[in-house]
Amino acid sequence: MVVATTRTVSLTGATGHLVDVQVDISHGLVATALVGRPDASVVEARDRCRAAVTNSGFEWPSTRRVTILLSPADLPKSGSHFDLAIAVGVLAASGTVPRRRLDKTMLIGELGLDGRLRPVPGVLPMTMAARARGMTCVVVPEPQAAEAALVPGVDVIGVRSLLQVVARLKGVEVPDAPPVEATASAALLSWRGDDRVAELDLSEVLGMTDARFALEVAASGGHHLMLSGPKGAGKTTLAERLPGLLPDLEVEESLELCAIYSLSGGLPAELSRRGPEAGGRLLTRPPFRAPHHSASRASLLGGGTGRVRPGEVSRAHTGALFLDEFPLFNTDIIEALRQPLESGEITITRGEESATFPARAMVVLACNPCPCGDFHPRNRDNRCTCTEVRRRDYRRKISGPITDRIDITRHVEPVAPHEARDPLARPEPTAVVRARVEAARRRQADRYTATPWRLNAHVPGPVLRERWPLEPDAALLLDDRVYSGTLTRRGATRVHRLAWTVADLRAAERPGLAELDVALRLRSGDALVVESISRRPGPVDRSLPGTPLPAGAVPEGGP
Amino acid sequence: MSAPGRGARAAEVGDRVARVALGRLGEPGDPRIARLVAELGAPAVHAALLEQRDVCGVETDVAARLRGLDPETDLARAAAAGIRFLCPGDHEWPAALSDLDHAGALNQRGGAPLGLWVRGPRRLDELCGSGTGAVAVVGSRSATTYGTGVAGSMAADLAGEGVAVISGAAFGIDQAAHRGALSARGPTIAVLACGVDRAYPSAHRELLAYVADTGLVVSELAPGCAPTKLRFLARNRLIAALGRGTVVVEAAFRSGALNTANWASLLNRVVMGVPGPVTSAPSEGVHELIRTRDASLVTRGSDVLELVAPTGTVVPVTHRGSERPHDRLTERQQQVLDAVPVAQAAPASSVARTAGLAVAGVVTILRGLREAGFVEVGEDGWRLASPPAGGSAVAGPVLTAERQAGP
Repeated sequence: MVVATTRTVSLTGATGHLVDVQVDISHGLVATALVGRPDASVVEARDRCRAAVTNSGFEWPSTRRVTILLSPADLPKSGSHFDLAIAVGVLAASGTVPRRRLDKTMLIGELGLDGRLRPVPGVLPMTMAARARGMTCVVVPEPQAAEAALVPGVDVIGVRSLLQVVARLKGVEVPDAPPVEATASAALLSWRGDDRVAELDLSEVLGMTDARFALEVAASGGHHLMLSGPKGAGKTTLAERLPGLLPDLEVEESLELCAIYSLSGGLPAELSRRGPEAGGRLLTRPPFRAPHHSASRASLLGGGTGRVRPGEVSRAHTGALFLDEFPLFNTDIIEALRQPLESGEITITRGEESATFPARAMVVLACNPCPCGDFHPRNRDNRCTCTEVRRRDYRRKISGPITDRIDITRHVEPVAPHEARDPLARPEPTAVVRARVEAARRRQADRYTATPWRLNAHVPGPVLRERWPLEPDAALLLDDRVYSGTLTRRGATRVHRLAWTVADLRAAERPGLAELDVALRLRSGDALVVESISRRPGPVDRSLPGTPLPAGAVPEGGP
Repeated sequence: MSAPGRGARAAEVGDRVARVALGRLGEPGDPRIARLVAELGAPAVHAALLEQRDVCGVETDVAARLRGLDPETDLARAAAAGIRFLCPGDHEWPAALSDLDHAGALNQRGGAPLGLWVRGPRRLDELCGSGTGAVAVVGSRSATTYGTGVAGSMAADLAGEGVAVISGAAFGIDQAAHRGALSARGPTIAVLACGVDRAYPSAHRELLAYVADTGLVVSELAPGCAPTKLRFLARNRLIAALGRGTVVVEAAFRSGALNTANWASLLNRVVMGVPGPVTSAPSEGVHELIRTRDASLVTRGSDVLELVAPTGTVVPVTHRGSERPHDRLTERQQQVLDAVPVAQAAPASSVARTAGLAVAGVVTILRGLREAGFVEVGEDGWRLASPPAGGSAVAGPVLTAERQAGP
C-alpha cells in the first residue's frame, strides 16, 4: 500500500485548521476520487493538478485508482490553495518525490494548467496557523513570500512552479521559471484615496474647539466617537483628519491587519511588493475605512458567497471606521454593529460555519440632526423642513444600545463667522496633536504591559475597576450617576475608560474628579470647560490671583 | 522717622504728577484716597503724605512705599514705551468714570481712579462715549466652549455695530469677548489689574499686543505693577463704569464676573446675563443674577444693543418663529378648513356638519379658502388642496379673501 501525506491549511474565518492531504494509489477501478468535504473550488483541483503534473513533465498515475483524502474529513473545505498539496501528494505517492521532508512542510498555492503557482488569499493567516501547529517550513507562491515571511520562526520558500517545488523537495538544482504576476487586489469599497486622507491636516480646521479635543481623546484611547450636526458643519472634515493622529502600527497590530487584508483578497499589491525591507512589516499606517451607507451587510460586516470574507469593520481593525450619514445605513447593519463596538471582534455565523474576525477599530459615526440636515437646536438657525415624525424616525435609527456603546458624543456647529475671522486663531497642526496622542498611548502601553490590551478602550470593565480604579471621590461620583439613573453600568465603564485617557493626555497618575468631569462631559455631549482642554505653555499661567505669584511677579507693595 | 529731603519734596507738584505718585502709594480703588483727592485735590494729599502727616490713617499704610517714589520718571518711561497717563480734566478722560465717586464701595474698593494708564491707538473717551458707547462682556475663567462661543459671537455682533467691547483679558469668556470683537475688526478695550506693559496671563501676550495695536489696553496701575486678588476686584469697577452695560456670559457662584455685575448695578448701568443649560455650574451665577437681581436676559448682540443704545437709535425686534399661511386664518376659516377632507371630496353640507356651522356661511368661507389655495372643489365636492411641491415652511397658499378680517 502506498500512502503519502502532505500538509496544508484550511481557513474558517481567520482561524486556520491543519489539513492532511493523504493520497493513496492502488489497484481497482481507474478513477481519481477527492473526498473529505471539498467544495466546488476544491473539486476542480483534481483537474488542475492532473494537467499541471502532466505539463510539468511528470506522470499522473492515470492507470490506477487515486484516492485523495482531505483530513479531517468532516471539516468543510474551500479555496484553491489545496492544489499544491494535492499535486505533491500524488507525486509523493507515486514515488517521484521523497516523503521524508513532507511532514514538517506546509504547501500552499493554486496551480495553473502549465504547472505555475498562482497566489491565493489568506497566506498570512495560513502561515500563522502553520507556525502555531509546529510547522517549520512553508512553501508559498513567490509573490506572497514577503507576506508569509512576516511570521517569525518559519522558513518561507517562495516558488514559481511545481517543477521548482519538486526540485527543492528532491534537493536538486532548482530550475528557472518565468515569474508569476501577483494578483491585483482592489478594495471592495474604496471611497476616497488613502493618499488624500494622509495629506489632510488639523491646522486647516477652524473653530470646533471641543470636537477637536474629542478627536484627540478618541485617538489616544481608541474610543468610539459620534459627531452630530447640521450638514456642512465639518463632521467629515474632522473625521478624515483622525487617521493622521494615530501613531504607526505596532508589529503585532500590523500582523493582525495584514492577516485580515490577506484574507480579504490579498494585500494591496504595492504593499506586497515593498516586502520585508519596509521594516519587516507590510503595513505601517493604521487603516481608515469609510464605506458608503448603501454598502451591503456582507461587505461591511463580513460574509460573502463561498468562503466567509472579512468586511470593512475588520479591514479597519487597529485603525478607524468612519460611518458617515449613519442613520441611513440599514437597520440590521446598525444593530449588528453592537458586537464589534463592544467586544472588538465580529462573528459571522451561517449554516455550519462560524467565522470570527478581529474588528477592533475606532468607530466614528456622523449623523445629521434630521433627514434634510438643516435642523438646528438653536431656533434662529433652524431651516429644517422635516416633519416631527420624520425627524423622530431618523433619530430612532441610532438606537439606544448603539448610543450606549459610543464613548464620546459631540455636536458639531458650523464655524461661526467670529471664529473664522479670529485674527488670533492658531489651530494646532496634526503633528502637534499626534505627539500628544503618541505620548498618551505610550503611557497606556506601559500600564498594560503583560496584558492582552493596548489601549484604554480595550480593557474590560471588571479588570479596570479592580486594577486601575479612579480616585475614591471620583469613583463615588460615578457610582452616584449610575444609581441616579443618568448613566448605565456600561456607560459608567466607558466613562471610566475615558477618564483614564484624559488622565493619560494630562500625564496624571490616576484619574480624579477633574478628569472624570471631562469624561462625563465628553460622553453626554455637554460643552467642555475651556480650561480643561486648553494647553497653556507653563505652570506660571495657572497661578490664579490670590495664589503665590511666581518669582519675578512680586507685587509692588502688598495691600 | 525722618524722610530724606523732607522739606524739599513737600513742595507742591502738578495735579498729574501728584496723581501718578498717589497711584504708586496707595492700592487702586482705596476709597479713603479717592475721598481725600475729591475733597482736597491730588497735590494737597500728595504733599500731606510726603510730609508724613497722617490723613485718615492713610499715611501709616503707605509709609513703606514713600521711599523711591519718582512720578516724573514713571511718566517719562511710560511715554517712551508708548503709554500715556490720563487724568480727570484731560480731553480723553471718559466722563463715565466720575459716576464711581457716587457709587459707594464694594469689598472696601471704590471711587473714581486717580488716573488711567493707557496703551493703544484709539481714544478712550470716544470709545466709551460717542454713539452707543461701550459694553462690558465678562464671565468666568473656567468657561465652557458654549460660553466662549456665545461671548465671541456676541462681541463680534457688538463690535460690528461699532460698540467697543470691554473685558479683562483673562482666560475663558474675557479672551473670547476680545477675540470676537477683533474678528469683526471692531474696537475692544482690555482693562487689566496690572501694569499695561505686562502680559497677564502670559499666555495672552499675543492677544494683548493685538488689542494694544487696534484698541486700547487700560489700567489704573502704573506700568510694571503685578496683579493681586484685591487689584482684580478694584479693576472690575472700571470695567463696569466704562461700559453702558455689563453682559455676564458664564459665571459660577463665586465668579469675579458677578463682582463686575454688582458694580454695574451700583453704577446704574444695564446688567445683562446670557443663560446656559440649567444644569451647568458655570451658568449658575448668571441664572441667579437674572432670577434675583434685575439682570436682563440676552442671547445675541442685537438684544444687548437694544438695551444699551440711546433711546430712539435702535428699533427693537421681536423674535418669533416663522409664519405659516394658516396663522392668518380666522377662527371660523380654521374651523371649516379642519372639516374639509384630505383625499375624498365631500359636499359643502357634509363639511358644514363636521364643522358644526351653518351651510350658507360654510360655502362662503370655502370659496374664500379656495381662492387662497387651501382647498379645491370638484364635481364630488370639497377637499384639501394638494400641498405645493418643495414643502417650504413659508411658501404656501396666499390669502386674498378675508385677509384683512384676520384677528
